[in-house]
Amino acid sequence: MRLNRYFFHERFFMRVLTINNNGGGFADYVEIADGTTVAQLFEQQISGAKPSNYLIRVNRQPCSEDQVLQPGDRISITPTKIEGALG
Amino acid sequence: MKTTKIIGSRSRPSTPTLRFSPTAWAKLLFLRDYGRTEIGGFGISPADDLLYVDDVRLVKQTCSWVHVAFDDTSVAEFFDEQVDAGRQPEQFARIWVHTHPGDCAQPSAVDEKTFTRVFGRSAWALMFILAKRGQCFARLRFNDGPGGELVLPADVDYSRSFLGCDHQMWEQEYLTNVSPQQTNLVASRLSESANGSPFDEEDEWLDSWFDYTDDGDNEKETA
Repeated sequence: MRLNRYFFHERFFMRVLTINNNGGGFADYVEIADGTTVAQLFEQQISGAKPSNYLIRVNRQPCSEDQVLQPGDRISITPTKIEGALG
Repeated sequence: MKTTKIIGSRSRPSTPTLRFSPTAWAKLLFLRDYGRTEIGGFGISPADDLLYVDDVRLVKQTCSWVHVAFDDTSVAEFFDEQVDAGRQPEQFARIWVHTHPGDCAQPSAVDEKTFTRVFGRSAWALMFILAKRGQCFARLRFNDGPGGELVLPADVDYSRSFLGCDHQMWEQEYLTNVSPQQTNLVASRLSESANGSPFDEEDEWLDSWFDYTDDGDNEKETA
C-alpha cells in the first residue's frame, strides 16, 4: 500500500523551484501536479493578482502562459514597472 | 528627517530603525551624487537582521532628474542572482531604495502607487528615499493581517564589521545599470531642431484650419 502511494506520488507530482516575493516570499522547491502550466502555477502562488504586474520566467527565459512545466524547472515571478518619481 | 544619530553599541536600537552599514551608506551617497538623475535599487539584508542594510544593489534602469524606472528583465535577473547567492526574497526584495535629486525626501504619488502595487502583496516592505543634504524617508508597511505602516528613523550602524569603500566598483555598477534618459531627450530635441521647427506640425494644423474656414465661407457664398 505504501509502495503504491509512493509510485502514485512520483507519477503525478513533480518538484519545481519557485521564486516568489509575495506573502512571506520564498525561493524553494514546491510540489505541483504533473502537467501544470505556468498560468496554473501563477494562480496557485498569487491568487487574484494581475499577471500583467509580473514577469514570469521559466529557467530564466520568457515563457507563455500555457507552457507546461517540467520537473526541476525554475520559475521566477518578479514584479514589473517599478518606478519612482520626484513629487 | 536627517540621519544624525550614530549607533555605536552592539545592541540593536529599542525602537525599530532602518540601519545602514557604513559601506552601504557611503555607496548610496556615492550613487546619489554620481549623476544628476534619480537612481534606485534594492537593499540587501542579512537573514537575522532584516532592517539592517549591508549593501545597496542597482538594477538596470532608465532615469531622469525626476523619474526612475527599473528594467523588468533586470529585476528578474537580480532575483535569480540573489537566490543563487543563497538569499531569500525577504533579504533582497523588500527594501526599495531610491533617491531624489532635490532636498525633499517625501514620497511622490508615483512612489506611493509603486509601493502599493509592487510591494503591497508581500508580508512587509520598506520604502526608503534619500534626497540631498541627508534628507531621508523610511516607511515600513505590513500587509499581513490588519496591516499597518510606520515611519522609521534611519541611521548608520557602526556596530557590525563592515567593508571599505570601493569607488571604482560602485562607479562600474552605476555605469552598467543607469541609463540617463535626459541625454536621449536632449539628443532627440537637437535632432528635431536640426530637421526643422518643432512648430511645423502646429503650422500645418493652422493651415488646414484656415482651409476649412475658407471652404465654409465659400459654401455660404455659393448658397
